[in-house]
Amino acid sequence: MAHKVALIRGDGVGPELVGAVETVFKAANVNIDWVEVEAGLKCVEAGKPIVPEETIAQIKELGIGLKAPMTTPIGKGSVSPNVTLRKKLDLYACVRPVYSLPGVKTPFDGLDIVIFRENTEDLYAQIEYMATPTVAHSVKLISEFGCERIIRAAFEYARKNGRKKVVGVHKANIMKIGDGLFLKTFNRIKEEYPEIEAWDNIVDNQCMQLVTRWKIYDVLVMPNLYGDIVSDLAAGMMGGLGVAPGANYGTKCALFEAVHGSAPKYTGMNKVNPMALLLSGTLMLEHLGENEAKANIEGALRATLEKGIKTYDLGGDATTSGFAEAIASELK
Amino acid sequence: MTLHGVDIFIWSAETPDVPKEFGPFTLDLISNRGTRIYPGPAPEMDLLDWPRCRYLCEEEVTHDQIDELVNKITSLGYRWTKCQKLFRIDGVNAFSQPY
Repeated sequence: MAHKVALIRGDGVGPELVGAVETVFKAANVNIDWVEVEAGLKCVEAGKPIVPEETIAQIKELGIGLKAPMTTPIGKGSVSPNVTLRKKLDLYACVRPVYSLPGVKTPFDGLDIVIFRENTEDLYAQIEYMATPTVAHSVKLISEFGCERIIRAAFEYARKNGRKKVVGVHKANIMKIGDGLFLKTFNRIKEEYPEIEAWDNIVDNQCMQLVTRWKIYDVLVMPNLYGDIVSDLAAGMMGGLGVAPGANYGTKCALFEAVHGSAPKYTGMNKVNPMALLLSGTLMLEHLGENEAKANIEGALRATLEKGIKTYDLGGDATTSGFAEAIASELK
Repeated sequence: MTLHGVDIFIWSAETPDVPKEFGPFTLDLISNRGTRIYPGPAPEMDLLDWPRCRYLCEEEVTHDQIDELVNKITSLGYRWTKCQKLFRIDGVNAFSQPY
């Protein structure tokens, strides 16, 4: 039976990237019934919200979606479609695996880390004010509930996937109340997972250690702002946003996405690397229980890279569709 | 900078049943964890015991009017833990909108 999955084709290069994923999934004989839902610039141009309520409702009903990059319109009152989806679907866990890939040269051989970023609180709760004409005030909202569920998700992931170490990342030496609550919660929950080595680290030190001692890290969990920054740092260590996948999980829904932008200047040029969306798609397959298809696609991708077939961002000259077809041919 | 309303953060496990109108103010929204839950449709999400009630007035209001509104909320039995006055600068809201 086909898996029904909501699909947002996105803005800019989004539709081209989705086309590449469709090519590869078809070659892998993955039985997906894509249900296209509206979001992004087209909605705004039609006078609708950037993420219409019908789209939220449809993703909720299906419980799963794949999202290509979307553009946040510039201007007062504009909201990010990505943050809107995370908030409205309560997708509290942003999971960003980063790992070394053949043919993607970086100084970080042997990289294999999974980052858990809390996705709904912290300074992203959108509670900001001008308190006086010259003073801005942003509320950093950290709840025990929000900390507990992301920290537990990280430990559960580690337990399920045979990961040995979980590190809680914070700045509790300075923000003793907000990050202190995160740290206190981390220290409480880690006691429930005695088989997993767990310790905490201050975010600035963690950034330094990521680029000097990356091989000792396994799973990292952190509040929203640090997660936003550290996960992009880690994506760079993997080879850039063009290759790094992303997933957002809630209790009832999961949404898989490439975390890079919609690259409007490349629209229609058949140029941009589809790997990030494709690998997000394989995370989606894992979520659907299609582990064999996931392994097959990732194997075909590695074989393609090993042959030196790459898009421009990795030093190659393959087009978006050409790269997808090369992967597809490995699957046949 | 002109005064137009107030955000009242209330310590309550339930979404508070606060007045929709009071004096010059209208209840613009209630949010929880930065996400709007009133007016609906409210997302299906776990709520914290710290809802925020935003009251606004299109016209400029006085600080005394804000005090009266906050006292009204207190008199209804709600325990607020934080209030933030809402200003406009050159006619533009100097406060963020929830999702």
